[in-house]
Amino acid sequence: MLQAHSFLWNYLWVAPNLLSVSLGCLIVRRGLNRQIPAFVAFLILAGLGDLALFGADIAPFVSARNYWVVAWAALLLEAVLKFFVIGEVLSKLLMPYSSVSRLGRNLVSGSGAILVLLAGLIAGFAHGDNPFRLISGFHLFEQTVFVVELGLIVFLFLFAAYFQLSWDRLSFGILLGLSISACEHLATWAVIANASPSEHTRTLFGFMGMATYHLCVLIWFYYVLVPQKVVTMSVLPLPENNLAVWNRELERLLQQ
Amino acid sequence: MTLALVLVIAAALALVLILGVTVSTRPQLSPGSALAQRIEPIDIEAFRNLISPAENEYLRRRLPATEFRRVQRERLRAAAAYIRVAGRNAALLVAIGQAARSASDGATAEAAHELVDNGLLLRRNATIALLRIYLALAWPQSALAAAPIVHGYEQLSGRAMLLGRLQNPAVPVRISGNL
Repeated sequence: MLQAHSFLWNYLWVAPNLLSVSLGCLIVRRGLNRQIPAFVAFLILAGLGDLALFGADIAPFVSARNYWVVAWAALLLEAVLKFFVIGEVLSKLLMPYSSVSRLGRNLVSGSGAILVLLAGLIAGFAHGDNPFRLISGFHLFEQTVFVVELGLIVFLFLFAAYFQLSWDRLSFGILLGLSISACEHLATWAVIANASPSEHTRTLFGFMGMATYHLCVLIWFYYVLVPQKVVTMSVLPLPENNLAVWNRELERLLQQ
Repeated sequence: MTLALVLVIAAALALVLILGVTVSTRPQLSPGSALAQRIEPIDIEAFRNLISPAENEYLRRRLPATEFRRVQRERLRAAAAYIRVAGRNAALLVAIGQAARSASDGATAEAAHELVDNGLLLRRNATIALLRIYLALAWPQSALAAAPIVHGYEQLSGRAMLLGRLQNPAVPVRISGNL
């Protein structure tokens, strides 16, 4: 069951990507694509990229080298789109808060630059897990992308929590899905790129990665399809008092 | 292997952190008054005195250098304590304002919007001021410019009162007393 190219393997490779493309189309049909164009592009293009990779994996006429070339292309496309999605979520988060908008953008840019340097440094320390640079480079690049991606996501969550910024439901769902995926993928790619695990362990990691991505796509479906609960905030249960006290408080404040 | 282990631990910690933040920042269902009761009072005059350049100059002239540095460190620590409370109060006011932003009454929503904006500004200024104070603790003679905090806090207090009055004009809001 837990073997490469088993039914479960093929299902976990194909299903989340088909679901991802379907979700992208659903968002377009609902007219939400104007709100989250980068995420829609990510769902559709990254999904198609992974499906093309699956095709390259099972097609007998695709050589091993060409498979890795397709894998590189899909990875580069996915990485670029993911950073656009993070930028889009950042914009939507900061849009209603003009007082911290500039600070947020500057801090994200700064932390992004630091994360790129850090990820480069980590990649520099790695010894490579494969004699073929095309393959070991792919693993290291995966690790690098996830270090930067996860760092930016953690920063966004912390920034929003520190300033008590309220998330737009869709943006929150997008980032939650991306973060779960990034945590799992960073851990597995770090082991693959640095610890030279056995073939069986790699296969198990493959299952884990695909299952996690499946979960993330389902999370995104949930946030797109299930409407937000309307929370009715009651008016402040104010203590009994009168306007005279109000005025006294106001005067006291003005005299400070 | 060590590098892999470090990255795996980092990823696990990040996941815990993200899930923790996610759970802790779910929509505030506690009544606004419960949040308002958590606001701590601040003596703004005492704070002004602590960060007054004139007062600093007076102490510098009157005290020997070593004594001045000691006193100045104490004053900076006290100012930092005030600023931390101001920052926490600002966060609570932002939360109260966030809850009122979707109010059907336009004036209340507008007041809530301004309260949130000013609260965020104060939180930002408080963070920057705290950083400067910690720097100043290392170099007590450096000039401390925390005046925007005072100004921001005064503005924020006014916005909170306006919001409370708009939400229920007939009765006072407890938070005003605390500010």
